[in-house]
Amino acid sequence: MIIFEGLLLIFLIVCAVAVALTRQLWQAIIIFMSYSLVMSVVWVFLQAPDLAVTEAAVGAGITSILFFLALKRINAMQTGKKGGKGK
Amino acid sequence: MELNPVEIRLLRRFRKMYMVTAFLVSLAMTAVLLLTVFNLPAFGKAGNPAENEVIGRYIEKGLEETGAVNIVAAVILDYRAFDTLGETLVLFTALVAVLMLLKDEAGVFNRRYRERSKFEPEKDQIFRSVAGMLIPCLLVFSIYIIVNGHLSAGGGFAGGAILGATLVLYNIAYGLEKARGFINEKNFLRFITAALLFYSVVKGYSFFTGGNHLPSVIPLGFPGSIFSGGLILPLNITVGIVVACVVYGAFCLFNRGGL
Amino acid sequence: MIRTVLAALLMGAGLFVLAVATLGIFRFRYVLNRIHVAAKCDTLGAMLFLSGLAVLEGFSFAAFKLILIIIFLWFTNPVASHLVTRVEFQTAAELEHECEVIRDRKEGGAGQ
Repeated sequence: MIIFEGLLLIFLIVCAVAVALTRQLWQAIIIFMSYSLVMSVVWVFLQAPDLAVTEAAVGAGITSILFFLALKRINAMQTGKKGGKGK
Repeated sequence: MELNPVEIRLLRRFRKMYMVTAFLVSLAMTAVLLLTVFNLPAFGKAGNPAENEVIGRYIEKGLEETGAVNIVAAVILDYRAFDTLGETLVLFTALVAVLMLLKDEAGVFNRRYRERSKFEPEKDQIFRSVAGMLIPCLLVFSIYIIVNGHLSAGGGFAGGAILGATLVLYNIAYGLEKARGFINEKNFLRFITAALLFYSVVKGYSFFTGGNHLPSVIPLGFPGSIFSGGLILPLNITVGIVVACVVYGAFCLFNRGGL
Repeated sequence: MIRTVLAALLMGAGLFVLAVATLGIFRFRYVLNRIHVAAKCDTLGAMLFLSGLAVLEGFSFAAFKLILIIIFLWFTNPVASHLVTRVEFQTAAELEHECEVIRDRKEGGAGQ
């Protein structure tokens, strides 16, 4: 079990670094979403189920929706290679 | 915009310096944070500063004094209910800020959205029917989480977020016009202010009686049943309403510029 | 004993399908190919893995919850993939370059 916990923590660090280094904003949002999901599993391991439920609902669900809407609002949803409008 | 060669060179130098400075600053920040972590007391050791009489009181007397099985709910909605009021007000303030910034009185953004959107999920039959099957289950689930806040994990914040997400799903699947049938702007502000006022009044009563050593008339109930825990159940419901309204309102304002 | 073996078989099959899905997402380049892999394999893989867990758990409330999760995933996952595909189909500017399009109806319907 401790190996699994360590793997989750390593994944968290990788996700946090990847969010900062990603060039495209929507990719950063998706990575942040997976960060929140893994974080909620880590909360379960730390015996905080209240926080885990909240993190899964707010972090992985609501926050990403709001981020995507903000990107759409400022017209920043460009797809990578072709330069056309994604979504 | 045309740039002359001097400006381009300056810009390049700025970018290079920016990278170097960012690297150094983040390195220094990491070093400071790691040093702080090494100086922290060990996790879960007796004699830590966090290990004082408060935590023992909560664990030993929590069930007896609040009637809630879930100690977390007892702490955040009974002992520290004032903090939770502050958190709820923070959410409300954020929503008011979003309302001020993004409220689209003239409907310009809504019209532009309609003209430019090539894809409307509310016209998709598969999505609509599946959402129609899922939404009642999600509503029941979120209400279960909210009203069981004092018995199991969850509570107002988590259940309210799920309720808000369900409303968002309804909005996406059936369109804003249909969602306006039950939650338009007037109703919405009524819900949220009524919930906040109820919270303040009820908790003010509780603090008044508790602070002045008066007996409270609210029964604590039998621990473990749904009507127990005194004021925790109604407070959970109000917090859930506020969170759901904030989530749904923020979604609508970002999406179309109006509820 | 036989329950453990059955659960291990189911979970192994689920892991294999999920690995195939991940490989496919990395191998393909275009959205529709990727969603083709991700939708089917994710749905089947999650179902196999979760039913393996349910078999391991036996006849209990946790197994019932796992079955509920499977039903939820089988509702949502295909619909989400369908929506992604539809967005791509209706908004992609260069769909004809990527695949053969049969525009026999006005709106929606025709795929690759």
